[in-house]
Amino acid sequence: MLESPAAGVPLRIGVSATREPFSFVDRDGRISGHDGELARRLGMRLGRPVEFLNMKFMALIPALQSGKIDAIVTGMTATEERRRLVAFSRPYYRNAQVMLVRRSAAPARGKLSSVADLQRRRVGVLMGSAHETWVLRNLPQAEMLQYKTVADVTLAVKQRKVDAALHDADPLRALMREDASLGRLGDALFAFDCGAGFASSADDLREQFNAFLAEIRQNGVYDDMRARWMEGRGEASPRVDLPADRGVLVAGVSDVGLPFVAVQEGRLTGFDVELAERFAARLGRELRLANMDFGSLVAAVASGKADLIVSSIYITPEREEQIDFSAPYYAMETHVAALKTELAATAADQPAAPSAPPLAQRVADSFHANLIKENRYRLILDGLQTTVAIALCSVAIGTLLGAAVCFLRMSGAAVLNVPARMYIAVLRGTPVLVVLMLVFYVAFASVDIPPPLAAIIAFALNFGAYAAEIFRTGIEGVDRGQTEAGLAMGFTRAATFLHIVLPQMVQRILPVYKGEFISLVKMTSIVGYIAVQDLTKASDIIRSRTFDACFPLAMVAIMYFAISWVLIRLLDFCELRLDPKSRRRRGARR
Amino acid sequence: MIRIEGLAKRYGDVEVLRDVTAEIRKGEVIAIIGPSGAGKSTLLRCLNLLEQPTQGAIWIDGVNLLDRRADVPSIRQKMNMVFQSFNLFAHLSALDNLTLAPRKLRRVPRAEAEAKAMDLLRLVGLAEKADSFPDELSGGQQQRIAIARCLAMEPEVILFDEPTSALDPTTVSEVLPVIRRLAREGMTMAIVTHEMAFARDVASRVFYMDEGGIYEEGPPEQIFEHPTRERTRTFIHRIRRFACRIGSPDFDLYAMNAEIEAFCEKHILPRKTRDDLLLVVEETLQLYRPALQTAPLDLAIGYSERNQDLELVWEHAGPPADPRAGEHPSEDFGWSILRGLTEDLAYERVGDRNRLSMRMARR
Repeated sequence: MLESPAAGVPLRIGVSATREPFSFVDRDGRISGHDGELARRLGMRLGRPVEFLNMKFMALIPALQSGKIDAIVTGMTATEERRRLVAFSRPYYRNAQVMLVRRSAAPARGKLSSVADLQRRRVGVLMGSAHETWVLRNLPQAEMLQYKTVADVTLAVKQRKVDAALHDADPLRALMREDASLGRLGDALFAFDCGAGFASSADDLREQFNAFLAEIRQNGVYDDMRARWMEGRGEASPRVDLPADRGVLVAGVSDVGLPFVAVQEGRLTGFDVELAERFAARLGRELRLANMDFGSLVAAVASGKADLIVSSIYITPEREEQIDFSAPYYAMETHVAALKTELAATAADQPAAPSAPPLAQRVADSFHANLIKENRYRLILDGLQTTVAIALCSVAIGTLLGAAVCFLRMSGAAVLNVPARMYIAVLRGTPVLVVLMLVFYVAFASVDIPPPLAAIIAFALNFGAYAAEIFRTGIEGVDRGQTEAGLAMGFTRAATFLHIVLPQMVQRILPVYKGEFISLVKMTSIVGYIAVQDLTKASDIIRSRTFDACFPLAMVAIMYFAISWVLIRLLDFCELRLDPKSRRRRGARR
Repeated sequence: MIRIEGLAKRYGDVEVLRDVTAEIRKGEVIAIIGPSGAGKSTLLRCLNLLEQPTQGAIWIDGVNLLDRRADVPSIRQKMNMVFQSFNLFAHLSALDNLTLAPRKLRRVPRAEAEAKAMDLLRLVGLAEKADSFPDELSGGQQQRIAIARCLAMEPEVILFDEPTSALDPTTVSEVLPVIRRLAREGMTMAIVTHEMAFARDVASRVFYMDEGGIYEEGPPEQIFEHPTRERTRTFIHRIRRFACRIGSPDFDLYAMNAEIEAFCEKHILPRKTRDDLLLVVEETLQLYRPALQTAPLDLAIGYSERNQDLELVWEHAGPPADPRAGEHPSEDFGWSILRGLTEDLAYERVGDRNRLSMRMARR
């Protein structure tokens, strides 16, 4: 702290105190910094008190010229122009000018050279995977985007929705073989052992699996599998045909990609699938594979929906709290994948992108890759069949259920109509996806129910609630007088309903019913959640193999539209048939 | 053919019918008349159990309809109904409205049912509307189709529940002749109606319903010409009433006069009539002034819309006392006014009450 003399003619110093470290206003409101101190020392030397006048930089020279201040000490560069207006002292500091850029923006455009560069970047991970956990812990500043399938993660990288993504080493290797645009960033992040997961209560089965593992390690089968799947290109696994008369073994898998699990030629294949097949054969049980989202696997085995899960699952401490694992059967690393053009190491030697082939060629290629190759159209056809079957069964059962609920709802007795009202309120107020999960994972937790059946039950329950209310408004829309007329003629209550109320009700409700029907067809697209391979899931699978978002999605959209269109035309036809006046018109033409 | 015994119907606390007993014989045409809310429609609807009676018995050809074992639908086939609001089946053409019940209930083949239906449509004059739907027909046409629809089932009885009440006056005359024709052909019918001239004309017997039951019944001449009971007369003559009680000699005369004036205004009585009425009331009260010390006096004014008679009835309890006893018309100005303005001035003793009645003279 420098003490300026208190008395004497003040030395008026002009400053622009906004330029650290030369001159700035400190915590106490004083002019501080290199130039502040310089000015104070000058005052001491001259024996005059220093008075600072803090002004805008561009006002300093006019102030000096007009004599308002005695000197300017504020890191002013002695330029030729200024020299013409004012006199400068000898230079007291040599200053360099640099360009300042926003710190966060700068690295975001650079190439990735190490994992550390991923901070503040967008990183894609598979939902429910160990990758997700790692990013949360180690890249807190990265923007993490979770995807439900490995295919979506890969697609996000390719479409630059994320800058990089975490991948298992072996599937990534397989991917890179297929797709030259992908590259690896740095070394492995971490490694884990993979194991098969079992419910905590299934100790016997786990022991059997461990014994089975030990056996195949010993007799060379394991080495053969490794050689085929991991080292060579994935050969089709030898068909394992053994008597399967001791019940069903449900294995949960997720098509994370070769070499572990993938859909080829319309069926699941890969190292894990072969492992499951061999294990089932060993047990003499029929294997049923349930292909679901990776994030649902642990829940599926924990709730008993699957007997075991084999899908290159890391044995992490978090998972071990929920389920038990077999002995490890494979050790795997996790890598970061990114587009080669984004990687510092490979960006340079990337050849210039070849000019895009003509549009027609691209469409033809896409058509071939998405439909023809590996008979992928079969997936779409099977999915279509499943979607139509689930939709039609749900509507049929839901309609009957709705009729029953409507009957109860319209009953005068509270015992009957209160439960019906509650049913309608609850089902209409719950998202159908939640109902689907509840049916599959809770209501039928301990029952071995085929997923499509669970889907039909869930959608029928949902449709029933809407149908009940549609029916009720339809019935109430037919005026009571007609019912009385029917009764007065000698029809029984049932016959009156059948001959008089029902035909008019159906005619009335068809437009609304049609809408509900169509929306149900579209709602079935969520059945992939419980491992049903419907139309949407089929497109997911194709996408996971071709990494082409446009074609499969567009195709599925067209399929849904086609189903809806056919159904609408069908119901339109019914509506026309039921309209008595149009019937008369037809009759007149005859 | 139909016998009703001790029939009662309540809706919660409201007793609509109490203890109705009646009989309808084959070939009879019963007109059921009475003020609104008297239970006419309820009685009719109880007959085919569209309303469930609270108690009583309905015997139809020896079967009690209220017996649990009774086959109600098959009894209803013999006893069809025509409604105020027609209630045609909206999704069926006129022809199909007629053929539905025969085909479904009697298993009549379609061709046969349609031939019969066309005959009936011709009968009601609507054969060319066979293919029309109810919403394309006028009210009168719909009601005639509804009658034909009843006939298609060849019922033994037809119940008509205010068949013309929903029709405008011009279309009423499309429907009534059809019913009249059925009556001529000997169909047994019970008709709830507000068409008095029609009821008188077509009915073989009339039920006048009031006070939750059949208040008076008889041949139409009796009910319409010489009703024996007071409420029947009130109804038939369309009598409008005004009543008030004069409690003491110090009652509010001006308030009562204002009410009487309002009554006259409501029924559009000429100003002269109104002034005369007020004068008569005032003069009569003078006669009763001494009696008012002991008992309250009830005044009832009745105005018949049918023959425009205006009647006054005075009543009070107490020992017999004929106010005419002190009459000296020559000397008494009040009496001369009364005699001048009224006719048929009469005294009678009813129970322990004295009743003085008079009718305003017509001029």
